[in-house]
Amino acid sequence: MLRRTRGGRSPSSTWAMIGRRLLALPVVLLAVAAFTFFLARVSPRDPVQSYATVQSTVRQQTAEEIAAAWGLNEPPHRQFLSWLGNLLRGDLGNSRLLGGQPVLDEIGARLLPSAVLVGAALLLVLVGGLLAGTAAAAFRDTWVDRAVRTLCYVNLAAPSFWIGLLMIWVFAIQLGWLPPGGMTDPRAVDPPLVDLRHLILPALTLAAAQHAWFTLYVRNTVLSVRQDDYVRFAEASGLGRGTVLFRHALPNALLPFLTLTGAHLAELIGGTVLAETIFGWPGVGQLAVQAALAADLPLLLAITLAGSVLVVLGNLTADVSYRIADPRVREPAL
Amino acid sequence: MTGTKTSHAVTTTAATGPEPGAPALLVDGLSVRFATAGRVVTALLGVDLRLAAGETMVVAGESGSGKSVLAAAVLRNLPGNATASGTVWVRGEELSSLPPAAQRRFRRRHVAYIPQSPATALNPVRRVGSLLMELARARGLTGPAATAALESALGALDLDFHDVARRYPHQLSGGMQQRVLNAVAMVGEPALVIADEPTSGLDPDLVEATAAGLSKLAERGAGLLVITHDLRLARRLGGRLALLYGSHLVESRPTERFFDAPAHPYGRGLLAAMPEHGGVPIPGQPPELTALPEGCPFQPRCPVRIDACDGPMPEPVPVAGDAPAPGWVRCYRHHRGGGDA
Amino acid sequence: MPVGAAVAAGVLAVLVLGALIGPVLRPARVDLDRVYAAPSLAHPMGADGSGRDLLAMVLSAMRVSLVISVLAAAVAVAVGVTIGAVAGILGRWADALTMRFIDFMASQNHFLFAILLVVLFRPVLGGQGAVLLSVGLTHWTTVARIIRSELLSLRTRPFIAAAIGGGAGRWRLFRRHLLPHLAPATITAMILLVPHAIFHESGLSFLGLGLPAHRASLGNMLADSQHAIYAGAWWTVLYPGLVIFALAASVGTLGEWLRDRTQPRWRSELQL
Repeated sequence: MLRRTRGGRSPSSTWAMIGRRLLALPVVLLAVAAFTFFLARVSPRDPVQSYATVQSTVRQQTAEEIAAAWGLNEPPHRQFLSWLGNLLRGDLGNSRLLGGQPVLDEIGARLLPSAVLVGAALLLVLVGGLLAGTAAAAFRDTWVDRAVRTLCYVNLAAPSFWIGLLMIWVFAIQLGWLPPGGMTDPRAVDPPLVDLRHLILPALTLAAAQHAWFTLYVRNTVLSVRQDDYVRFAEASGLGRGTVLFRHALPNALLPFLTLTGAHLAELIGGTVLAETIFGWPGVGQLAVQAALAADLPLLLAITLAGSVLVVLGNLTADVSYRIADPRVREPAL
Repeated sequence: MTGTKTSHAVTTTAATGPEPGAPALLVDGLSVRFATAGRVVTALLGVDLRLAAGETMVVAGESGSGKSVLAAAVLRNLPGNATASGTVWVRGEELSSLPPAAQRRFRRRHVAYIPQSPATALNPVRRVGSLLMELARARGLTGPAATAALESALGALDLDFHDVARRYPHQLSGGMQQRVLNAVAMVGEPALVIADEPTSGLDPDLVEATAAGLSKLAERGAGLLVITHDLRLARRLGGRLALLYGSHLVESRPTERFFDAPAHPYGRGLLAAMPEHGGVPIPGQPPELTALPEGCPFQPRCPVRIDACDGPMPEPVPVAGDAPAPGWVRCYRHHRGGGDA
Repeated sequence: MPVGAAVAAGVLAVLVLGALIGPVLRPARVDLDRVYAAPSLAHPMGADGSGRDLLAMVLSAMRVSLVISVLAAAVAVAVGVTIGAVAGILGRWADALTMRFIDFMASQNHFLFAILLVVLFRPVLGGQGAVLLSVGLTHWTTVARIIRSELLSLRTRPFIAAAIGGGAGRWRLFRRHLLPHLAPATITAMILLVPHAIFHESGLSFLGLGLPAHRASLGNMLADSQHAIYAGAWWTVLYPGLVIFALAASVGTLGEWLRDRTQPRWRSELQL
């Protein structure tokens, strides 16, 4: 099991691990950068021509000027090095979609809405999954367990964007309870930073994609922890059901979830693409789709890179919190 | 585990409490079967036990004889694939007849359990102090009373409560973990103490301290059921000795009398296998519970077997001269009033 | 066969049959008198914004989505088997390097990456080819892991040692001795990937990044329905999604049944 095979069981190794992982971060980024650049190079898409489709027709001479201005006539490794150099200086290029705006500024402006959405969805996944999964395990083989499991299997086979559309139909159009899109009310004079009414449906849609298997995972882990000796000892000692579940089984079952949360982050970040598009949420995911539809490669590459950085940092945070949470790793044996 | 009863039922049954004067533990016809991979494994078959308040009983047997299953069955803590039949009373209370919440309440108040494998029985993510206080509270002690009780119980086993309390289980040695579990069983006034190999991993003077602590519990009126493969511990504890072999109890005797004159060939074999008696092991292997032989489970290894041993398991026969309490043995070669034929 | 798998097989058989003969029996025609007609006896799923019978549209869209998903799963399996075989056969540093790469790819979000691939390769491969490539290049990691571990355990088996002792070369060893043993695992992995491919195809098409808008695919239909629900045409959302759900659920259930029968060890390795 995950929590038993983690190596390096001493607190000093936690710092060593953080250091090692942070040092590896640039290497990982370089790999992603090289990989995406490689793909862009082998791709038959001609950057000048794709620019041309945006700008209608381009004369041959203009096309050569553009190519020269972008350094497209240079050999590939030179192109990569100059792209990489720009990358290191924080210059990810200029977006054609946004009329020549620096890519980084636009992503930065969109980061907050996406972070709010991902945070809300993560909260829903964790809280909902813990409650439903623990309930299913505590009432194993009763109607509670069957209901939770059935819902999860249904959820697993239903695409989240379909669930989002159905929720728009039911809650926004039929019942009129919640707005169907946007981040704030466009009529508001002084819109709040986060409008909860606007947040609910997108966050539910984003959470829907991850909720099912997280719930099933919680259920199975709690069930397996209940077979462990310390839980059986607590039960044999006649401690109350609630005490056994919440003070003995859950704290142990929760440890591997910390690591899992890191894995969930990658899926949630990717899920913003669909959720933000459906609900017109002005985040990075929506920007990615716009960039993709306009074939705006600098913007799309930058978003992909940013996604990778976030995933790596998220995994690191999850692993560090795991080490802090588990006393067997945090405190040395005497 | 299944269903919920009204809180009314819980309060009335819990209010009855243990019946004074009733035996600490009475087991009648206890059988436990496990369903594994399409096969049924019989771990216990028709076990009868009677343990009066203040009395000590040691159940001895080799590993795989079903002795840990006995503890789990008495505690109603068997895994999900096990089915138990027969009846268990603790201080006159038939636990299976109580609603689950009342069962738990009765057990945490009146039954203390020392589990096997101390390394895995302590919750790894909680400090030992919090576990100890939780178990003391379960036995009705809170605040300074709990601290005092734990201090003295741990102190008797040469542990400092305040030092142990702030550690995590993985920061204790194996022997310390065992002593922590032993000590917490001695807190409060349990009516029944069930100890599964309480001296594993302890050096001789700690074995002595543990045995003394357990005996003190019995003196205070608890029924003491110790499960072990260690015959020397059995001799030290005294009281009564029951031998478990191949899911059957084959002999139950006052401990002194057993060491003077074991009645079952298996008991004689065990004594001969002790180092001080020459250390000659019993030839052959204990039977797999999946493939128990016909008739007496010991007959394939028995030096005195006869054809009748293939037949039904012999009924218990009283052993003459046993005092203070009568002893019995289940063997065709044992005759009333005398030894072997 | 347990009840669940039998029901799934029945549902899948009906869906596949519908996809095969449906478009023949019920061709979709534009009929501007029926724009957003509500479900009725004649049109059980109603009509779309061009007045086309939604049932007919769903049936032909299902055919397209099924074919593309199966092909995409096959591409992913081909990539996964190749990379897994490289790791499992070469071993040592090639194995270590490949495992690093697999771990890295598996930790990244594959949907963003799939979008990037579609954008890069759509001009030459067309929408369909780009979807196949993008699903293939983002879903191979679990397959590669499985193939690698199968190979590593096969290498220790006596008949392989005998073949090596008999002087079989690496390629011959792989083709004649290892490949036949990998076939059941490969087929099971492919079936388990089909629901993912369905999700990805429909998700990409929904965003306008998959199949061309004029082709009837389930994702394109849902993209159209985004506007149609404001006209009250809930059926344009409900039925295409329901078909995705039925396809994914039936193929997934069958795949899991097959996995439990043939590869009981996978339960922990492959979290699909």
